[in-house]
Amino acid sequence: MAAILETQGLTKSYGSSRGIIDVTFAVEEGEVFGFLGPNGAGKTTTIRTLMALLKADAGMARIAGMDVWQQSIEIKRIVGYLPGELALDPNLTGGQILEYFGHLRGGVDQTYLKQLIDRLGFDPTRKFRQYSSGNKRKLGIVQAFMHRPRLLILDEPTNGLDPLNQQEFDRMITEVREEGRTVFLSSHILTEVEQTCTRVAIIREGRLVRVGGVTELKDIKRHDVTITFAEAAPVEAFKDLQGVEQVEVMPDGHTLRLAVSGGVDMVIKMAARYAIVTLTSQEPSLEEIFLRYYEGDGPAAGGQTTREASHVVR
Amino acid sequence: MWFGSVYLKTLRDFRIAIFGWGIGLGLLMYAVVTAISSVIATPEARASLVSLAGSFAWIAEPIKVDTAGGYATWKYGFTILVMALWPILVGSRMLRGEEERGSLDMLLSQPRGRGLVVLEKLAAMWTALLAMALLIGLLTYAGGARVNAEFTLSESLLFGLNLALICGVFGSIALLIAQFTQERRTASGITGGLLALFIVVDMIHRVIPDTDWISRLSPVYYYNLSKPLIPSYGSNPVAMLVMVALSVVLSGAAIWLFLRRDVGAPVALPQWLQPPKRAMRPEQALPVNAWSLRSVYTRSLATIAVPTFWWTVVIAGFSAWMIFIVQQTEQKLRTLYEGSPLLKDLLTKVGGGDVNTNATLLSFFFVFLPVLLMAFAVTQAGRWAADEEDGLQELVLATPQSRLSVVLARYAAVATATVIIAMVTLALTTLASAASGLALNGGNLAAASLSIIPLGLLMAALGYLFSGWLRAAVDTGLLSFLLVIWFFITFVGPELNWPAGVQRLSAFYYYGTPLLHGLPLGDMLLVLAITVVALALASARFVRKDIGR
Repeated sequence: MAAILETQGLTKSYGSSRGIIDVTFAVEEGEVFGFLGPNGAGKTTTIRTLMALLKADAGMARIAGMDVWQQSIEIKRIVGYLPGELALDPNLTGGQILEYFGHLRGGVDQTYLKQLIDRLGFDPTRKFRQYSSGNKRKLGIVQAFMHRPRLLILDEPTNGLDPLNQQEFDRMITEVREEGRTVFLSSHILTEVEQTCTRVAIIREGRLVRVGGVTELKDIKRHDVTITFAEAAPVEAFKDLQGVEQVEVMPDGHTLRLAVSGGVDMVIKMAARYAIVTLTSQEPSLEEIFLRYYEGDGPAAGGQTTREASHVVR
Repeated sequence: MWFGSVYLKTLRDFRIAIFGWGIGLGLLMYAVVTAISSVIATPEARASLVSLAGSFAWIAEPIKVDTAGGYATWKYGFTILVMALWPILVGSRMLRGEEERGSLDMLLSQPRGRGLVVLEKLAAMWTALLAMALLIGLLTYAGGARVNAEFTLSESLLFGLNLALICGVFGSIALLIAQFTQERRTASGITGGLLALFIVVDMIHRVIPDTDWISRLSPVYYYNLSKPLIPSYGSNPVAMLVMVALSVVLSGAAIWLFLRRDVGAPVALPQWLQPPKRAMRPEQALPVNAWSLRSVYTRSLATIAVPTFWWTVVIAGFSAWMIFIVQQTEQKLRTLYEGSPLLKDLLTKVGGGDVNTNATLLSFFFVFLPVLLMAFAVTQAGRWAADEEDGLQELVLATPQSRLSVVLARYAAVATATVIIAMVTLALTTLASAASGLALNGGNLAAASLSIIPLGLLMAALGYLFSGWLRAAVDTGLLSFLLVIWFFITFVGPELNWPAGVQRLSAFYYYGTPLLHGLPLGDMLLVLAITVVALALASARFVRKDIGR
């Protein structure tokens, strides 16, 4: 398939501050592409450069074969954009805002627009200032989808959405993919990207450190599992299990805290052999994962081997 | 040090305002105090000034206007209250502005009571007002010392203090009103309107006999009870205490409400005071079919409709009022100008002609029209810069609208507003001329009313240009500074005997004297050419720049 979005050596700095450095990747038509990175990694800078809100210092970015800066108007006809922070006229109602942007896009299908509003349970009668952050997000999602764009560029789209609306959003993304349209979404939540994306790029400190299939995320995925046993905690049984990186016994002597990379299947099976009082599994934030996974590592170039080597039980 | 408390941090935020307002108004006082000797150069001029001041009692009570202190007190009567705009903005921003930005949530999450936070912010506002008062008092005293005026340093400082007290009252009113509004702009707009209303209410007793009781309802009345620069009149400690009490009560009420309401929401009004709500079902919300949502231009026009209305009322109202005033005071003004070489010179330079015609006198007052229109343009240019800073351009620029069309559409809306203001001004002045019986050349009146348009457009274009590099606050500050400097050159420069060449540095110079000499076509074309260049540069910059947040 042809790339609908491609960047080559894309670089943007803010004076002496880092923005993004030498970012190169391609998104093929019809795929849902995740752009993953901790806060301040450069996700929004990349997206705002793609939307021609920022002018790149070096490198190139193309959407549907067109230069994002030179042909930005043609590009915006086929792109739906959701910014990370939504700022709109506080005195307009949601309906007025949608109508305004509909006009600026040359008109939208009102039936489809109402369907989107219904699906997300959005109330367009209230003023923007009265919306909660979740409702503001819904408004942003509706305006990004309402003209059935060929490419959706979404900056942390589910920020502030409740789980029910996150599920509805996931379904909307699946439909977009099934219609052959493309989604480029940024996130700092690993599971979100895992659920909705086919491929993913990881950015850290302004540089891309990884681009690949979503299944490849497994090797950096981690879980913090806490198990409280009815008897004394069987430390030895878990220490050498596949994927268990760290085992810590809590002061009560009955509770184990495990740091597990990849799947937790082996841990669950082992735990099932004992009498358990409670078991909780928590996914650490991407920042925590990156902190552990890329600990002491410099910028991405040439770092892959070191990272893999550091991936051992401590 | 400056980040050690809410008080110090807030005071730090006010540092530019303290020096800007303090030194700016202080210099104006210095200029007017030192000008007295040339204003009353002859006994005839002195007598005429005293007589004229009586006719202009609506400005301020004319007491000893032939002395430096009396002249300054009368001449800058209510205009000195322009300083109240600062506490109005501060009072409305103090809590409501921070709530709009969401920064108050963060501040109130600290282990610090709500009451203490607002008290520290209020204390910072009062400290800033007193610092401004000190600067104004010192500069007024310096002016007085130069012409051996009769008032002392302590009386100059009392003048500054009196000014700070009335300003504090309006800051407190803004703070109280902001408890009931969703936006700081609404609170500052309403308080600004109240300032104008209270000035007029105070004027009533000076124009209509036996209406003192009405004027007592205005805080400005109590400000005017003290005239420290006129030693024989002196200060009124009771009136000053009334202003202090008003501030305490109003601020206290605001704090009381703030302690009891939700952060981010206004005080809940009783049901019967709430505006009727139109119940609309979500499925009926679309399509809206509003004209203002059809393009960036129409949306921009709708956004500036309300401020345009109020600025039209002010500008057109001022011009019509001046026609009536000039008609009534023509003879006294003429005597004064003929007896005062300096004022005659000022009139000749600014008014542009023979002092024996009422059109010349009116021409002098008409120079204030471009000042007001340019002030309107400053606010609109500031709003353009603020919108970008607040991220409001982000989604507009994500639609298939070119950056050039967006900037030009916004500018076109401001241009439309300036044309509307000028046209309404022309219509009202024509009506006022007919109603007052003041014979004015129709073509010249049209030229005088419509020639303000290029100057408004120039100011807006410069604001758009500066916003390409500067933050909104700096952009607005720079434009305001430019406006004050031009005002100073045109209106104060002649009193300070500045050379004629300096006048050309002021944009108001190019407005000319259209009421007497018709449209200054060459000058207007020059202003328009500069405007086009500034707008072209502003557009070129906006097309290429990073859109900021």
